[in-house]
Amino acid sequence: MRKSIQLVIILNILFIQFVPGQGLYSPGQPEDDGRFAASTKQVNQFFRRFNGEESQDGKQRYYSGDKEYRDRALRRQFIGILFDNETSSTPKSLKNEFLNTVNAENYPQYLNFHGGDWFAEVHSIFTFQGKREPVVLFMKLQPEGLGFEWVIDRISFDPFKQAFNKPEGDVKKFLHPLSHELGFMNLRRALEENKKPESYTPSDFKPDYLTLFLYEIKKGNIRFETVTDVKFHFFQIKDWYFELSQFNRPGFNTGWLISNLVKLGESDKEVILKYIYDQD
Amino acid sequence: MKKYIPSLLLLFFAAFSLATAQSDNISPQRKQAIDSLALEKVRDLSKYISIIGNKQTQFSEATRVMDRAEELFAPDAEMGVSSLSSNEVAYYKVRRYFERLMALNYDQVTISWYDIHYISDLERQPDGRYVGVVTIYQRFEGTSVESGLNYRDTTKKDITIYVEKKQTQVAGRTIEFWDVMLGDIRVTETSA
Repeated sequence: MRKSIQLVIILNILFIQFVPGQGLYSPGQPEDDGRFAASTKQVNQFFRRFNGEESQDGKQRYYSGDKEYRDRALRRQFIGILFDNETSSTPKSLKNEFLNTVNAENYPQYLNFHGGDWFAEVHSIFTFQGKREPVVLFMKLQPEGLGFEWVIDRISFDPFKQAFNKPEGDVKKFLHPLSHELGFMNLRRALEENKKPESYTPSDFKPDYLTLFLYEIKKGNIRFETVTDVKFHFFQIKDWYFELSQFNRPGFNTGWLISNLVKLGESDKEVILKYIYDQD
Repeated sequence: MKKYIPSLLLLFFAAFSLATAQSDNISPQRKQAIDSLALEKVRDLSKYISIIGNKQTQFSEATRVMDRAEELFAPDAEMGVSSLSSNEVAYYKVRRYFERLMALNYDQVTISWYDIHYISDLERQPDGRYVGVVTIYQRFEGTSVESGLNYRDTTKKDITIYVEKKQTQVAGRTIEFWDVMLGDIRVTETSA
């Protein structure tokens, strides 16, 4: 009896391990006409396709040591379908140059989930002073404990930006250079009568919006409502930047796709980051 | 729990045969076994959703199935739902989501699942547990006889799975196995 139970268990194990498809499905259920298969359904699948680490139908994951792992021909096909071809205006020649760069025989480049130099832009709605306000959270992945976590790296929030508008030149108020001789008694007038106390900060002062934001949340003045959109920015490929967005529309060119591609010149990265962060 | 025992044993066997020193790493073979268990749970969830949404299901039976469905989930799991008309995500506790599904005002509801799924890699989170995402597609069809209304949509469901190494006692021996729990689910209406 015991032997037969063991046999059943082993057969069960073999059955579960080697039968593909593992059964959400039964006769009469709707069949994908290829659109869902073609769609880049997860950011994870974008990474795998970009790197050539899964089969064309997405059912098989290729690992280091597999013959097809990061195969150049496979990558060429995959990367070709990883662009938004319906609404983005990236020139074909630029896409080809990018493809030839990342898929070069002598120096191929791959995306690394834990490799840094990519981050998320999360558009969300918070309630602030009784009003629904859009907030953009910039999130990055960092090592923590035994694994990794997403953390809020910075935020963009219009009411905060408008609250800190440091005047420049003649209109900027100041504390004169002999204020110390009077025990800084002019601070009262400076801080009570001037609506722009940031006037009395160093030239390189930059308000820390994230700290302010967290403080307001802790005080109960800002409350999370919802997320409205997510996109990702990649600087992992040397001298290139691309943006990854989700396209939910009919057809085969859907899911997570490259929506913007830029070949970076000197200092372009800083310009793009400044634009993305929208902090100034 | 009983029905998952073969899978759990499989995971135990995989763990036993493939890893000793680096026992917390997940080999491709073990990943495949974990995927199978995750899909079993997703399949069960799909079945439960179909029963809960079915207008022929008695209230008491639907309640019982909701209890069973809830057992698949880690505590505090939520459903985040968005539609083609609104990008905003509406959040529901899992139970509340099931209750809303049960209360839908159609005479007939058919919920079916496309023959495709996608399973992400497993990533380790700070507490040592692994997390992955299973993506499936659902078709919903609701018919109201009185108003003659037919509603149909297709939704993409991105289902979080938590994978954790656990221990159990069998005949006085401690056996380690990998277990899978479902977590938050993001439900997105698609244009299909």
